[in-house]
Amino acid sequence: MLYREAGQFKTSYGADQAIFPILQDKLGMIVILALAVVVVPLMASTYMLNSILIPFLVFSMAAIGLNLLTGYCGQLSLGTGGFMACGAFFAYKLTTAFPELHIVLVFLLSGLGTAMVGILFGIPSLRIKGFYLAVATLAAQFFLVWMFNKFDWWTNYSASGVISAPPREVLPGAFITGTEAEPVTKYYFLLGFVAVLALIAKNLVRSRIGRAWMAIRDMDIAAEIIGIRPLWTKLSAFAISSFYIGIAGALWAFVYTGSVEALAFEINRSFQVLFMIIIGGLGSILGSFLGAAFIVLLPILLNAGMLAIDPTISSALVSHIEFMIFGALIVFFLIVEPHGLARLWALAKEKLRLWPFPY
Amino acid sequence: MGVLPVRTIGIWMLAVPLAILAIGLAFKGMAAANPSFFFTWPYFIEVLIAGLLQGVMYSLVALGFVLIFKASGIFNFAQGSMVLFAALTIVGFIEMGTHWTIAFFITAGIMVLLAISVERIVLRPLVNQPHIILFMATIGIFFFLDGFAQTIWGSDVKVLDIGIPKTPITVMENANPSDPNDPWQYGILINQYDLIAAAIGAVLVTVLAIFFQYTRTGRALRAVADDHQAALSVGIPLKTIWAIVWSVAGIVALVAGIVWGGKAGVQFSLALIALKALPVLILGGFTSIPGAIVGGLIIGAGEQLAEVFLGPLFGGAIQDWFAYMLALFVLLFRPQGLFGERIIERV
Amino acid sequence: MNDVSVDQAPMTSELSTDQSGGPVTGPRLFNEVLLEVNNVSLSFGGVKALSDISFDIKKGEVRAIIGPNGAGKSSMLNCINGFYHPQEGTITYKGKERRQMRPHEAAKTGIARTFQNIALFRGMSTLDNIMTGRLLKMKSNLFWQALYWGPNLKEENEHREKVEHIIDFLEIQDIRKTPVGRLPYGLQKRVELGRALAMEPELLLLDEPMAGMNVEEKEDMCRFVLDVNDQFGTTIALIEHDMGVVMDISDRVVVLDYGRKLADGTPDEVRSNQDVIDAYLGVSH
Repeated sequence: MLYREAGQFKTSYGADQAIFPILQDKLGMIVILALAVVVVPLMASTYMLNSILIPFLVFSMAAIGLNLLTGYCGQLSLGTGGFMACGAFFAYKLTTAFPELHIVLVFLLSGLGTAMVGILFGIPSLRIKGFYLAVATLAAQFFLVWMFNKFDWWTNYSASGVISAPPREVLPGAFITGTEAEPVTKYYFLLGFVAVLALIAKNLVRSRIGRAWMAIRDMDIAAEIIGIRPLWTKLSAFAISSFYIGIAGALWAFVYTGSVEALAFEINRSFQVLFMIIIGGLGSILGSFLGAAFIVLLPILLNAGMLAIDPTISSALVSHIEFMIFGALIVFFLIVEPHGLARLWALAKEKLRLWPFPY
Repeated sequence: MGVLPVRTIGIWMLAVPLAILAIGLAFKGMAAANPSFFFTWPYFIEVLIAGLLQGVMYSLVALGFVLIFKASGIFNFAQGSMVLFAALTIVGFIEMGTHWTIAFFITAGIMVLLAISVERIVLRPLVNQPHIILFMATIGIFFFLDGFAQTIWGSDVKVLDIGIPKTPITVMENANPSDPNDPWQYGILINQYDLIAAAIGAVLVTVLAIFFQYTRTGRALRAVADDHQAALSVGIPLKTIWAIVWSVAGIVALVAGIVWGGKAGVQFSLALIALKALPVLILGGFTSIPGAIVGGLIIGAGEQLAEVFLGPLFGGAIQDWFAYMLALFVLLFRPQGLFGERIIERV
Repeated sequence: MNDVSVDQAPMTSELSTDQSGGPVTGPRLFNEVLLEVNNVSLSFGGVKALSDISFDIKKGEVRAIIGPNGAGKSSMLNCINGFYHPQEGTITYKGKERRQMRPHEAAKTGIARTFQNIALFRGMSTLDNIMTGRLLKMKSNLFWQALYWGPNLKEENEHREKVEHIIDFLEIQDIRKTPVGRLPYGLQKRVELGRALAMEPELLLLDEPMAGMNVEEKEDMCRFVLDVNDQFGTTIALIEHDMGVVMDISDRVVVLDYGRKLADGTPDEVRSNQDVIDAYLGVSH
């Protein structure tokens, strides 16, 4: 009853095109943001911040990136891990070479660098499609991880191959990387950073470039007929997607884990992010968040659940069962709702809009 | 099909030795320019043969992909986890004390059951979905099977001994060299295991080729591969055909699992071999059994040669990515792969 | 046989000069040539799809291309908008001989088209589908798009208004926000026409716009085609199998059969052409 659009008239096309055309949605979003800003840091323990909220935000960024490419532009990529590694190592080289450079700028620049790499590996997409392209992105995945692993220039010749984020502050005194950094500061920084970039992603997909991506995804021949240049459009998707994924990689290494080696970004990372967007919803920014939350929370809940049932269970077994459940869920979602959680959410709202008189 | 492509075969018979010779000469030249670069012809041939034999084993995995792709247009990412699952299962039965022949048949039965349930539970509801959705669904199956196999059988590395000797044999040995530096004096080492594994692969491929060329089911399968709708309309039971193909792919996975597992031990990394089969398919085309074999040989030999001779220049372990880069390179010039037909887009 | 066809050639041209100078109720008059196809031949492997085809499309007219299945009609359209590149012959558009071009380049020069099998973007709503037709006209850069503000917002609203006009014109207001995948066939065809119209093309190629429609839908579609031609002055080249429709709405008709040109002229001329009758009804020798 509370969720109605009756009586809310739009007097301009601008109002009709808004992200939240319905007042209740807008209010809901404001409430969620207020909760995230005010209540969560008060309630959340350090554990919650460090192992749930922070990875959730970092993964959301990666999922948005992959969703732009796969969900919106229809180009399947299995190279997410490799591109995340690019972001992490670019950021490391940048910030150790120019310590006075502001850390946000470092993140953005490493995103730009990753975008360049993305363009390079996106070039074959003009001529090859579907799973042929997926194999091409595997080349990126394996080559990039190998490169960061093999050449110790990337790690500033550290013997272990591990890079550790040096302490950097986002505002004077507010460290977000290094051992000094408070989880709450990290959380606030990530929240703001991810929210802004998510808003930009949302704006892009409802503008000209987003429509061009979706046109290429839905029917590339027809897209060409209406004047869309396939190469340029696909490469722009690769570039912007890699930009987001690169930043996510840098955030992963700097803000979430603090220290990382190239092998942290191997092929399983790519699958993990792919699963987020399948479960969350292909072609949905909201879905990227939902999927990330799901994939971050599920192992934690599973672990807790199985330990509750049998305290002696081995961690290897838990991870195998986790694999099984992930696999089954992917199949389940693809069969039941290929548009994922985001679609389920939209359906629920549709129902709610008419409730309790659906006729 | 039908007419033997004599011209194509002729070109390949000429081009392949020439290409190998050219690569060898290039390496020889590099060795002359760079003293740390080691090269002798016997060593080169030894590496080449090892690579080719490795390649046959890649083909074996790729074969499973081709079968399913031909019949249903699905790119079955889970083929690798089927290999792992099969290998773990047969080892499990052997460890329980079953004779390996009996274990083989039990496992084959399980693979058939698995294939049928995959077809029932996953593929049937997804009929008519875009290929990319089906592809992602098989990634889901990949994860499920990996987890399932290891939940049941554990994740320790297991030894699978099927009684093939692993000692290398020496051929073309020049025992009494006139020149003490004669590179041929130690001959060429060939791993017996690889040789026998390649023979098993060859037998399997021949059996499959005969099966698909000369049996009713084979003919039906080729009809389905050509056009689902048309095949249905002449009364070919599509679902039965799919179940058969998935079963055959399951048994191919079992053979591949035994061969690979016997060589490297049965463990999780077996599933990742499937990823190596992807560039093989790109080179060979997704629908061609001969393509899968030639693609496997090229990838196997190329990877081995690159790793041994070029690897040291880049710090080693380039076989992690070399196959993919090679495939990517080929795709740039021939998007349909080496053997695929040119795709004419219709509107 | 040979004698007949030689005889017929001058006869047709004689007829057409007669008719273009005819009474007011006769065919409309067009002078300026918009597109000219000269001796175009196209083959795939050994199969000849088009051989030595020449005809022109004049500015402002409704030009029909007809012929039995496999006559090469769609191939002809595909040549015009850059999908296929003819091995021989030239295509002159707006007085300039065209080099080999890709479809998106053809779109830029003002050629739009619809497809025989609907080629809509199934994941998008009607509104978004038609909005994609405006992409070429949109100019704001990535920066403003990322902010969805300033020039981009202004542009989005302007183009939305244009698109709303098209939606009104095609009478599809109620399905504005429906994903096109859920629409019935006839409406999908209409949306596809809308997307082509959004490009404000000079030359609109319609590949069987009325195929598979019932009588009412056909009538609607005919009305839209004529209105487009009339109100926007768009030149239209269409392929259609329904002879009644073709004879009613087109100014001139070109007939293809087995990749050759059989006849070219006004509907009446074509109707009475012996070769055309033979091709359609079969001929006993």
